[in-house]
Amino acid sequence: MSETTSLPQIPTSLDSLRESFAGQSSSTRALLLMAPLIAFELLVFVIPFLILLRISFAEPSSDLVYEPGTWSVEAYAGVIDNILAFDLFWSIVSYSFLLGVVVTLVTVVLALFYAYAIWRATGLLKTLLLFSVVLPLLTTLVIRTYAFTPLLSPSGTVNELLLSVGLLSEPIQFVPSTVGAVIGQVYIVLPYAVLAIYSVLATMDWHVVEAARDLGASRPRSVAEVVVPQAMPGIIVAAVISFAWSVGAYAAPGLLSENLTFALEVERLLLGGQRYPTAAALSVIMLVLMLVTISIMFAVLNRFGGDFDLA
Amino acid sequence: MHRERLENAAFRAGYGALLVFMLLPLLVVVVTSFSASGRVAFPPDSYSLVWYADFFESTRWLDAFTNSIVIGVGTALLATVLGVLGAFGQELETDSVVGSVVAPVVLIPLLIPPVILGITLLLYFNEVGLRGSYASIILAHTLWATPLVYFVMRSVFSRFDWQQLDAAHDLGAGPVRSFVHVVLPNVKHGIFVGALLAFIISLQEFVMALFLSTPGTETIPVLAWTEIRQALDPMVSVVSTFLILISVGTIVVAAIATNLEWVSKQLS
Repeated sequence: MSETTSLPQIPTSLDSLRESFAGQSSSTRALLLMAPLIAFELLVFVIPFLILLRISFAEPSSDLVYEPGTWSVEAYAGVIDNILAFDLFWSIVSYSFLLGVVVTLVTVVLALFYAYAIWRATGLLKTLLLFSVVLPLLTTLVIRTYAFTPLLSPSGTVNELLLSVGLLSEPIQFVPSTVGAVIGQVYIVLPYAVLAIYSVLATMDWHVVEAARDLGASRPRSVAEVVVPQAMPGIIVAAVISFAWSVGAYAAPGLLSENLTFALEVERLLLGGQRYPTAAALSVIMLVLMLVTISIMFAVLNRFGGDFDLA
Repeated sequence: MHRERLENAAFRAGYGALLVFMLLPLLVVVVTSFSASGRVAFPPDSYSLVWYADFFESTRWLDAFTNSIVIGVGTALLATVLGVLGAFGQELETDSVVGSVVAPVVLIPLLIPPVILGITLLLYFNEVGLRGSYASIILAHTLWATPLVYFVMRSVFSRFDWQQLDAAHDLGAGPVRSFVHVVLPNVKHGIFVGALLAFIISLQEFVMALFLSTPGTETIPVLAWTEIRQALDPMVSVVSTFLILISVGTIVVAAIATNLEWVSKQLS
């Protein structure tokens, strides 16, 4: 190991570590270290998903929840027919996606602003802003959602305040409604989105923005053309997280809205109707639709960031 | 610069509004827990501690509380072992094919709606006969907590001075001995923070727990959800206040135990 003491070798000390830590069988040892994690992911994630897939292809049964050992595309056909006929499943899937898109748009815009404010703030204000993001994360989403009921209900705090200052003549029905569900869901995903974007901004050089300003860019323009493109990796993570969690949202629409989302329907099928194959098929279809949307989102946002880099 | 001043004012109003939006719901929860009436209103008409007294007399809530702690500790232990070993193995062998597959597989569960994970695991645990056990919920929560521990540890290991291991090896320490005596002391803060994150994740998670829990394994968020759907009373605020206190307390303990500078470096 004498060569590791000479200066040029220092950057490659990880390589020498591989030798020193494990002799010649370093990859075997690394695999051995990863083995429990790999086994866990196989047993609790991969295999359960294969079982879900298998059950989605089983025949429904009247007395059992599904008929083991049977193969059938009945459940998929049922869900797809229902969607194509603009029936119940169509309204459920489209409402879930609508919620996902609206929440994602609102969240990304607010998160970008919030992360930018934290980035520019100093001292106590910075601590306070960060604290306000982290604190809700420490609370279960049941409670984060529940808190909006006394605030937004027709006789709630917000309505009473707006009525008393004369901005409203009669109370607005925020909950239960889609607006209430959007507000609740934005509140749930906003902290994650802010932290995702902030973590990228924190490594960014403020002087670049200053340079843009010195060259005559207005503040909005410097944000749009310098900050946003550089923050794009964080924005992509924020958008993907917001979208994935909002399409599959359960608590906020369940408590603050009266429309059925796919998450609520899956629960109803599973625990109420005992229709396992249909619940499984709906989940698989929804997951595929989501993954397709996320890939498109990824590609579009990536290109958006890339174009700005060239300019 | 009139325009500049206007922009600054708008900027301040903006983040002021966001601060209120983020903190008001939590304030509502804590304040309504001190309500004297059975109605959840903000601000309450009068204040008392009756709902706190009720909480400590309710075996149902106290049982749920115990369940949450048991499941949280189980999740923290399992996720920490899996995450620390996995991240260390990954750091040793960054280029291997298995390594490049492990990272995304560990991450994917975070991006799948918890409802889908919930039904998937419900069907699975039914098949293997684990339904209704603590283990089923611990395993489900570990699926979410492990990526967090894993990514905290990846960043901790990436800052670790690997030459220390060379030195240990030169002095004759074997792999296990050098891991325990050289690597662990260097990354113990990271492990501690990872374990606490896993605990908090488990304490709060509710969709998977809702699907998997049975009357004996109900966690606090699951019980809170069923209560909220029946009627809104300040008891849920009391429980929420306790949950917030536990989470904040955990973070404060972490901050004191590790040292503030290190934690703030992790956050920024």
